[in-house]
Amino acid sequence: MLLQQLVNGLAIGSVYAIFALGYTLVFSILRVINFAHGAVFTLGAYFTYLLIGARIGFNGLLAQSALPFGLPFWVAAVLGALLAGLVGVVIERLAFRPLRRRGADPLLTLVSSLGVAVALVNAIQYLVGAENYTYPPGALFGLPPAIDIGATGSPLPIRTTQIVIFAVSMVLVVLLTLFVNRTRTGKALRAVSEDADTARLLGIDVDRLILLTFFVSGVLGGFAGTLVGLSVSIAGPYFGIAFGLKGLAVIVLGGLGDIPGAVVGGLLIGVAESLVPSDVIAYRDAIAFVVLFVILLARPQGLLGRAAVQKV
Amino acid sequence: MSALLEIRGLSVAYGGIGALEDVDLEVGAGEVVSLIGANGAGKTTLLRTISRLLRQRSGTIVYDGDDITRAAPFEVVRRGIAHSPEGRRMLARLTVLDNLRLGAYTRRDGAAVAEDLEQQFQRFPRLSDRRGQSAGTLSGGEQQMLAIARALMSRPRLLLLDEPSLGLAPRLVREIFDIVDELHAAGVTILLVEQNAKLALSHADRGYVLEAGRITLSGPADDLVADDRVRRAYLG
Repeated sequence: MLLQQLVNGLAIGSVYAIFALGYTLVFSILRVINFAHGAVFTLGAYFTYLLIGARIGFNGLLAQSALPFGLPFWVAAVLGALLAGLVGVVIERLAFRPLRRRGADPLLTLVSSLGVAVALVNAIQYLVGAENYTYPPGALFGLPPAIDIGATGSPLPIRTTQIVIFAVSMVLVVLLTLFVNRTRTGKALRAVSEDADTARLLGIDVDRLILLTFFVSGVLGGFAGTLVGLSVSIAGPYFGIAFGLKGLAVIVLGGLGDIPGAVVGGLLIGVAESLVPSDVIAYRDAIAFVVLFVILLARPQGLLGRAAVQKV
Repeated sequence: MSALLEIRGLSVAYGGIGALEDVDLEVGAGEVVSLIGANGAGKTTLLRTISRLLRQRSGTIVYDGDDITRAAPFEVVRRGIAHSPEGRRMLARLTVLDNLRLGAYTRRDGAAVAEDLEQQFQRFPRLSDRRGQSAGTLSGGEQQMLAIARALMSRPRLLLLDEPSLGLAPRLVREIFDIVDELHAAGVTILLVEQNAKLALSHADRGYVLEAGRITLSGPADDLVADDRVRRAYLG
């Protein structure tokens, strides 16, 4: 029972992690939270839903319509994430860059990203309605819905979906870490994150890297949306907003702008939530935030954050 | 002597201190030109405007025959201008090696980059010893060496050096200026900003004096050293 909950916690926690990495990437470069990230997460889930050829419900402008083709689930998930990445790029061009060019206060940029979030959520509701969507069964290549890892006599079924979600998320975390630490572009990103002007003096095209950051952030957010949709369901256009708040808790917990911190924070909050007894399940979110609060009292810079650096 | 860098009527608004007013300045290919002046006279502003970190209000900057007045910072680096900034501006969390490699960010000739890397390590043996350390752990002198080495990694035709002697012990200052002479001999064009006017002029072909954003004097370095006004104001 405990092990089951632990696996559930790690699965959802790993999705928190990749979602929060999307926040972290943008924050580490621009020192501002992209509030539209939750909406991009939602979009990713819907993109995948449409790309597998599933039909829209009875509400919204696109009611009862579907694409004339259906892609295999994982192809659709990757494509959906890439589309979410493009949405991230558009958000940077429309809501971030114009303000940055005018030297606006980061707080204004934050409000502008919040505006984008509201606009996107409303657009989704307008197009496909507010109902709950689930991916059709069989998305996982006909893997059994659960595997039993218990001994004979004491069965211990673990949902296959949870294992797949955890594995896929961790692969993404590893790929992102390799990208940031090992590639030339990744090192340029770290340079921009430390000191944008110095990066410019080294011949780095900072605006292009910011665009790339928004793309990667959107891909991670969109993929997280699909994974949560797969684990539970797409609970309407607003489902990314609550998730977005949880993501904020994760990056604050891990230490703003820190990649390992976002991963540790995500897994920790996921596991903490999963250990909430089922009779007080309604307080699950509250418990996540209590964990956050207590840890921050002890370590205001976050678990892996650096104490009082020159930034933030 | 053809001018590699030609600045005409450059004005930069910068909220009072450090602003520039109608600056004319030329740097010929292969020359070392020193720009001297008091704190806040606008020396750093001028370098940052050449590097395109700042925008001018009016005037033109022509580099190697091309107007770069509207270029982006990364474009002027690609064209061969490297800038070793005031205060060294290390990427403190990256290693010495990564800092140097990023200095060659605009280059695609991997083999030659590796050669240049070795050359920097020969020139600055202390950086070689610390290549795996994060740049933030270096001493002030080592950071200055890294800033210069990093700028050289782009194989610049024009090197902008901002206050390379600032805060360094006399022995290190000599070391840094030996490097300036060595680069000069190797044909690198240098625009050098220094508060230490005597030092700057003794290693330069020509010099400019910047006062409150305006060029008030210019000429061969030897003439400036002998000039009464310069002696009174800067050589004490």
